[in-house]
Amino acid sequence: MTHTKLYTIIYVVLFAFATIQAAVEGFGLVDESYWFAFWLIIVLSVVKAVMVAAYYQHLRWEPRSVSYLAGGGVLVALALTAAAAYSIV
Amino acid sequence: MSDLPPKSSIRRWFLTTNHKDIGILYLVTALFFLVFGGLLAMLFRVELLTPAADFLGESGYNQAVSTHGLLMVFWFISPFAFGFANYIVPLQIGADDLAFPRLNALSYWLYLFSGILFGISFFQGVTFPGGWTMYAPLNTPAYMPGEALGATSVVLAMIMFVAAVTLGSVNFLTTMYRMRAEGLRMRDIPMFSLSINLTVWMMLFAFAALLAALIILSSDHIIGTNYFTYQIDGDTFATNVNNPGSSMLWAHLFWFFGHPEVYIVFFPALGVMAECFQTFTGRRLVGRKWFIISMVLVALQSFIVWMHHMFLTGINLEIKTLFMATTIGISLPFDLMVFSLIYTMIKGRVRYMTPFLFSLGALLLFILGGITGVFLGAVVLDYQFRGTYWVVAHFHYVMVAGATALFGGLYYWYPKMTGKMYNEFLGKVHFAVYFIGFNLLYFPMFIAWETPRRVFNYPVELTVWHNLSTVGAIILGGSFLIMFYNLFVSYFRGAEVGDQPWEFATSAEWAVASPPPLENFDGVPSYASGTLEFLSPSDVAKRQSGHSGAAADGGTAETSPATDGAGAEAGALATTETALATGAGTAEPTGHEHASHASFWPFMISLGGFLLFLGLSGIRTGSMLYTSLALVGGILGFGSLVGMAQEPFFAPETAIAERWPFADVEKMKLGMWTFLASDIVLFGAFIGSYAFIRFAYGWEAWHHDLIPEAHVTFPGLVNTYLLLTSSFAVVLAMVAAEKESRAGVMASLGATFALGVGFLINKGIEWQHLFHIHTEAFPEGWAITTNLASSTFYLTTGLHAAHVIIGLIIAGYMFFRSWNGAYLGDEKPIEYFGLYWHLVDIVWLFLFPLFYIL
Amino acid sequence: MLRHTVIQNVPIAHAGGVRTPAAVFNEIFTVFLGLGTLVGIVVCAYTVYNAYAYRDTGEESKADADRPELGELPTGGGGGKKLFLSFGISAIIVLSLIVWTYSTLLYIETGPDSQQVQENALEINVEGYQFGWQFEYPNGQTTSGTLRVPQNEMVMLNVTSRDVFHNFGSPELRFKTDAIPGQSTKTWFVGQQAGTYEAKCYELCGTGHSYMNATVEVMPRDDYQQWYNGSESE
Repeated sequence: MTHTKLYTIIYVVLFAFATIQAAVEGFGLVDESYWFAFWLIIVLSVVKAVMVAAYYQHLRWEPRSVSYLAGGGVLVALALTAAAAYSIV
Repeated sequence: MSDLPPKSSIRRWFLTTNHKDIGILYLVTALFFLVFGGLLAMLFRVELLTPAADFLGESGYNQAVSTHGLLMVFWFISPFAFGFANYIVPLQIGADDLAFPRLNALSYWLYLFSGILFGISFFQGVTFPGGWTMYAPLNTPAYMPGEALGATSVVLAMIMFVAAVTLGSVNFLTTMYRMRAEGLRMRDIPMFSLSINLTVWMMLFAFAALLAALIILSSDHIIGTNYFTYQIDGDTFATNVNNPGSSMLWAHLFWFFGHPEVYIVFFPALGVMAECFQTFTGRRLVGRKWFIISMVLVALQSFIVWMHHMFLTGINLEIKTLFMATTIGISLPFDLMVFSLIYTMIKGRVRYMTPFLFSLGALLLFILGGITGVFLGAVVLDYQFRGTYWVVAHFHYVMVAGATALFGGLYYWYPKMTGKMYNEFLGKVHFAVYFIGFNLLYFPMFIAWETPRRVFNYPVELTVWHNLSTVGAIILGGSFLIMFYNLFVSYFRGAEVGDQPWEFATSAEWAVASPPPLENFDGVPSYASGTLEFLSPSDVAKRQSGHSGAAADGGTAETSPATDGAGAEAGALATTETALATGAGTAEPTGHEHASHASFWPFMISLGGFLLFLGLSGIRTGSMLYTSLALVGGILGFGSLVGMAQEPFFAPETAIAERWPFADVEKMKLGMWTFLASDIVLFGAFIGSYAFIRFAYGWEAWHHDLIPEAHVTFPGLVNTYLLLTSSFAVVLAMVAAEKESRAGVMASLGATFALGVGFLINKGIEWQHLFHIHTEAFPEGWAITTNLASSTFYLTTGLHAAHVIIGLIIAGYMFFRSWNGAYLGDEKPIEYFGLYWHLVDIVWLFLFPLFYIL
Repeated sequence: MLRHTVIQNVPIAHAGGVRTPAAVFNEIFTVFLGLGTLVGIVVCAYTVYNAYAYRDTGEESKADADRPELGELPTGGGGGKKLFLSFGISAIIVLSLIVWTYSTLLYIETGPDSQQVQENALEINVEGYQFGWQFEYPNGQTTSGTLRVPQNEMVMLNVTSRDVFHNFGSPELRFKTDAIPGQSTKTWFVGQQAGTYEAKCYELCGTGHSYMNATVEVMPRDDYQQWYNGSESE
């Protein structure tokens, strides 16, 4: 399967999202309403990451078990970060 | 590649990649560390004869207890279990070796050399004195006597050990999901193999978190980052410190690893107990399905119980309640497992052979350990038991109960490994002495539980109990003389045994000769008919035509790992592996070539890594000796990696095998993804550490207080563009390889390489600029040691940069191979490299906003 | 005269009657120890009994028809019902113990119910250092090595550390909490009997860890007041 066109579109979108992230700061949104900007930027990063994993790393076309394997790693890291930070609230 | 010399030759043991040889090496080495750790225990038990430091001295005592814990937990018990795993798991599941034999040898040598590095730490002034839990900030050089080089060596030794563990986890998982005999579903594999499977799953994730903690700690030691240090405003009632999260960060990272570690240690023992109970009672395990489900539940839940080690650290009540609930929850499956073992004896023909005695003894000890553990689950009691001998006694009853079962395993499989029977009478004597010694050693600790942990001046009225313990320790230690004598003499004089010395044993290791031949099975093992049978090549060919596709990819060259030049990172190992080695031999997929069993490179790589780490331990002193050691080690390690990549090595995939749930994911790809999953946890823990200490400091104040104006978004944005483009280029390279366009492959790989180099140059310029700024807030520049924000920024992005460098080495190597027309029509190596490179890209997608924008 | 003594001896914030952490611990520990010993003996005895009862005597038995064989695919043995029954019983014991102790956890976390006792609690800052303890009283004075508190009054400790991770605890008064640099943790106790008690460090903190003790002086209220006022003026 060659997906050259698809890969190119994804590349353009990734490029654009990165630019938007920087622009959010450039336009002063980070100073104005920090937490809105924070979540906006993080969500953009998550979307980018998922796109790279799904298409460039082909998880879309692999057996679902491979995604679970990688997702397991993400889950473990998130559990550590979230619970540790929450414990000292 | 060279031929494998006979077992009588010393050379054999340096060259071998065969799983049975490696298993023996693990067992022997682990027993050496048992003696090492045991002698240390003996030293401090003698110290504890009187309530004063009149034997080892204060510092000596602290060093002895700390290193005893570290050696027993890391260098003895798990490697001992993995000696069996190496030897037995491939036999039990019907594989002829592990998936990546050279990687397996590399695991072993890294393990051995990490232990030697640990040993050397005793001669670098003072070894690590801060307890096996290594609480911060006592684990940093500021609080250690002298130069603390010994402590640094211990930290580096642990990193090397974790590298070995990570490679091992990747290897075992790939093996167990790709090489099971036909008809052997995951739920059908024997209990010991199943317990190892769950153990390596926990290892894969838990040790990645520990690796993050250790890399951070070694960086605090060697390059002076500030994760675990803090400063005080004034000299009394410290409330206004710059890094309020330092101690808690370590506690979280350590226990996030530390609790799964308990099960990592205990699961293989459970597996051995299940095997021995079945064999020596002649009954099938009662409620086997529920036993397995219980183990799976425990393995999953083990990652959400860690804060029960931190009930007194001031964590909030909600989280205490949550972790109390999960902790109690995780104890219940063990009840079921214990009852299952007990009921298995009913209607049995119980034969009191040594392996069974040890298994039964382990069960009894574990019951006591479990009951005393429930005490700790009641938080109010836990508050008072914290830091006392109750905890010491409890976890020795659990952990050493595990070791007890493993000694049973040693007797159980000894005839399989040597072809000789041990002396049964001496075995029984060993058990009797061992069991008495064990209880005499650890039970009085419950009675003397008011003794604080790790002190030598316990209350005088408890002297008698401590003395009983010391007597018990001598008896327990002495019992091993009987075992060593028995096993040594039996090797020469024991009765010859056949394939199956134990009546009612069922698993496949008993269906081959003792010891098994080099390639394990004469035919191809299969359970397709419902029982084990061995297929001839013609049977295999018949079945293969049945389900081509997944199974037909006969042989691919093993790709083996390369040690990360900077050494610090296990992950890099497996990665470099992919690309370097895939290049080397796209071996003929005929399957007729003989599998390889020998390689000298794993030993050489580990030796290089060892010298490098030894050098790093003292490099901050600027000494010529240490600097040159690091240099020589680095060069040797790197050269050996290249050597291994160039070496043709053939490790065929099994022609027909049970592969659920990874049937369509070939060996290399599965190995790669497994490794990447642990790398995700490594980076996740780094990012989590950053988030945690920033949160503890004050999330928004952080940016304002600690980061200079000059730290702007632009360089990060440029680097994001560069990495994204390089990822795109790798994808194009893969497409070009599919289309068999040599120019396309070369151009794309060349672009990837150039963009990666650009990324590093841009970063270098940025760092140089930040190092040398002169502002009012940062008159001395914004260097690694300046503050918390600079420490986290440079170390986290530095770890990422190290990943980029490794990726570039692989990309460069592949570029030169593509020059010669490699990869055309065979894009897999590029795909595997891409998996790694894209992950590096993904990580940056999070580092960029977190360290540049927010 | 009589009225005067009464007022002296029954102060507003008298905490002589509250359940102290020590009492709570002793009660729960006793129950756990009793039950734990019982369960341990029963289960271990049953285990050993089975191992003995089903020993191989060489005689044929009915079960011999269905012994495991080499190379078979594993299946579970029967006996599932019994397994779940015993598992259920053990789960009930453990869960009820924990649920029972949870309310006492809340008690230990929040302190005595009496608002008055809580409001009148004496708050003392404790700071650990290598290798000793320093105490700061509400009037600003500090002492090292000896913590003086009035009898029958709730004492709230705010514990922190100046250098490394310590843990401040007393085996008799049954308070214990981590002393963490950069953070403070709380614990409380009531000394209902005047006297001298021990406090120790429960976390390895360096070469002097074993010696890092303090004494807790629980003093009659008058004596305490005298000491408190006297030392303030020094």
